[in-house]
Amino acid sequence: MNETFFPLADLLRRKLQTSLVVTILALSVASTLSLLLFCDRVGLGILSTGDIMTKGLTAVLFQFVTFVEILVFAVGAVIVTFVAYLMMTQRRRDIGLIKAAGCPNGLVAGYFMTELLLVIIAGCTLGVLSGIFVDYVVSRSGDYQFIQGNPNYWLVLLVFVTFFVLALVFGMKPILDASRMSPIKALSPLIYFGLSGKKEFKPLSDHGLTWRLSYRSLVRRQSATLRIVALLSIVFILTTVVVAGSIIASDSTVSWIESSSDGKTVAIAHMEMAAQYDLLRSKFSTHFDQVERFNYSDERFAISPDAIQLLKNIPGVSEIDPRLILEEHIREVGNFTIDPETLATLPVGDSREGDSVIIGVDPSKLSLHSIQGRTIDAGSLSEAVIGDSIAHSMFSPNPSKGISLSNPLVQTVGIRGGSFTIVGVRVDPINNGRVVYVPIQKLANITDVVYTNIVFVTVAQSADFTTTVAEIRRNMTEANPNLDVIEIAHISKKNVGFLKSIWSTIMILPLFVLSSAALCLVGYLIAALDEQKKEFATLRALGGKSKLVVTSLAFQSSIILLSGFGIGVSLGIVVTLVILMANPLVSILTVLEIAAWLFSALVGIFIVTLIPAFSMAKSPILRHMI
Amino acid sequence: MYRGHSITTSISCAVSAADLSKTYELSGEETEVLKGVNLEVYPGEFVSIRGSSGTGKTTLLNLIGGIDRPTSGKIAVFGEDLTQKDEDQLADFRCSCVGFVFQAYNLISTLTVSENVAFPMEWRQTPSEQIINRVAALLEIVGMGQRANYFPSQLSGGEQQRVAFARALSNDPPLILADEPTGNLDNMNSQRITDIFRLLKSQGKTIITSTHDANIFALADRKFTLENGRLTT
Repeated sequence: MNETFFPLADLLRRKLQTSLVVTILALSVASTLSLLLFCDRVGLGILSTGDIMTKGLTAVLFQFVTFVEILVFAVGAVIVTFVAYLMMTQRRRDIGLIKAAGCPNGLVAGYFMTELLLVIIAGCTLGVLSGIFVDYVVSRSGDYQFIQGNPNYWLVLLVFVTFFVLALVFGMKPILDASRMSPIKALSPLIYFGLSGKKEFKPLSDHGLTWRLSYRSLVRRQSATLRIVALLSIVFILTTVVVAGSIIASDSTVSWIESSSDGKTVAIAHMEMAAQYDLLRSKFSTHFDQVERFNYSDERFAISPDAIQLLKNIPGVSEIDPRLILEEHIREVGNFTIDPETLATLPVGDSREGDSVIIGVDPSKLSLHSIQGRTIDAGSLSEAVIGDSIAHSMFSPNPSKGISLSNPLVQTVGIRGGSFTIVGVRVDPINNGRVVYVPIQKLANITDVVYTNIVFVTVAQSADFTTTVAEIRRNMTEANPNLDVIEIAHISKKNVGFLKSIWSTIMILPLFVLSSAALCLVGYLIAALDEQKKEFATLRALGGKSKLVVTSLAFQSSIILLSGFGIGVSLGIVVTLVILMANPLVSILTVLEIAAWLFSALVGIFIVTLIPAFSMAKSPILRHMI
Repeated sequence: MYRGHSITTSISCAVSAADLSKTYELSGEETEVLKGVNLEVYPGEFVSIRGSSGTGKTTLLNLIGGIDRPTSGKIAVFGEDLTQKDEDQLADFRCSCVGFVFQAYNLISTLTVSENVAFPMEWRQTPSEQIINRVAALLEIVGMGQRANYFPSQLSGGEQQRVAFARALSNDPPLILADEPTGNLDNMNSQRITDIFRLLKSQGKTIITSTHDANIFALADRKFTLENGRLTT
């Protein structure tokens, strides 16, 4: 029998173990690759296109996705090394047997190295193909047209090479160790033992005995046990970061978007202006190839004072907020600050320029949810709140332009001849965050546009929204047939839906990793069962009931799972709240939702791990006594 | 039914096997190991069975001990029909009524010598004080008192088999089944095991053993030979 045929025949003979290892390897490689490709598309994709989502949200998402990407890679690597190590450790007795039969060291190592190579090649190749397929399906799914395109093939190569090498290195170690070992030692149960002979004898209860058996069984496979706990810890860090992070981040970012519009608000504008406003808000979730320049200052869009007066008389209308929307060239106005340590005067910002939508508002009616700073003072004429995309592109450090210090909250934005002190930065879906809010009176003064071109009307909470809107619509048509009434909540829903769909996709990412981890734990417990099967059968032959096997395995599984869960979840929560998400929105419901998800993952894995135990408990005693 | 209780009823027959057959299927081929075996063993009797390898000695002991089920026929131990019991009832029966000694010792590697002897008593929820005293007494009987805190891997084969005897006696079962108890042992250790059998016999235990050991065979009240699946005297 040659060096290739023997390992191949051996792998085929051990169908269950071989298929389990190849499946875990393939699943691990596939999940890592597809997640990395997805993260790459979402993270880098959004960063590079830059015409969807505001810069602030993109930054949160990118930071989040990058961290998840690193964790996913680490989890995949740990799983692969664990599987390779476990698979080859299980073969130690076989190596001992072959050596005892007279096979030279080199040939033994050759047999098992070939076996390892065959499994790794099969697992990694299947994994890469499945990963590319999953990525293809995800990128073509309805909600993510913006992340279409070819996958990053460098990532495919990186995952294949890294996982192949890791599996090879970690699989080789036990082979080389065992091939150098004497046959007696390789066959001896002593090499597994981490037990001391100095134990005080204390009789225990029925369950105490099961606990003792389980605990010592874990101790004697100390190395593998520590590895599986480490693996599960990192898997649960990933799961917590993704689940908790996605839920908290989703709630927080959605609340930012929702805060930009009241559910009972309608906008009234000339139908062309209304369509343009719709487009400005839709830019957040929809990619537009080319947008024609729109003349906001067209006098046809002016809303007459008579129309506004009509609105005031409609029952159920609680607030009327006339605004002026324009598009202007804006410029960054630099400033100076004093370094508190050296007391030196340092320049802040530069003179960057760009175009932005400008919204003139009545400061007393502006209630904006700023993520930084505050809103415009009611009596102020020279303050501004800017969108996060403007803040990122014009008011943040840019080393390539030599701007090392920049902070919008100590700077000023210039519009035509006027300048406005920036007091707040907010995530705003309008024009993807390329927006500046200023007092309408001063905007009118500097632009000579003295009318309003859009009016926001808030319907009283006590009034019937549909009836009131119908009344507004009727009155406005009478005042000017070109006026249109649009419901803000409708566009807002679309943006929130888009944001939620991204976060919920990120949230299901760990499902693949959890499946791999569950299979790893099943593999570990199958190895544990395999090692203990004769002893379990003996215990049953001496009067132990079948449930003893299940209880013992359940104990072992619980210890491992709870250790991994405890470490992983605590670190995951710290990472999520401290590193990834500034100003998180955490309610009791959020906590309950996170707990439910994590608990489901824990219980799911636990149940899966008991399958081999149930299968053994049901089989006849004598099958395992030999 | 048995767990936590001793057998108090007076039974005329300790073991009664009638027309016992056992067939195994290996690679699609059926092998009839036992062919209509009839056996009656009385309380306090020492019965020895011999026969070549593969003639079904272990199978017969497994059927008597309730570890395996017959293909056909009836088997009753202390008046209880084993073929009518479910898995949990059989487990209770094995724990309380039978002390099993295997040829390969089958000690639990993660338990110390004391713990190996104690666990059948723990299953019966025997008070801790009693367990401690009984474990010490049994280990003294088999000469393993000094090795109480050792793990099986730290013992020789003979020592492991003596611990296996102590374990078989832990619940003071009325029936001892020993499958080739000296099969893996040298002469000196075999002699020690023979001494243990002698002691058990003097205590009035019902003993059924399969053995090739002449000394143990000589101790038996009745001797059987199992050949071609049939039991002959």
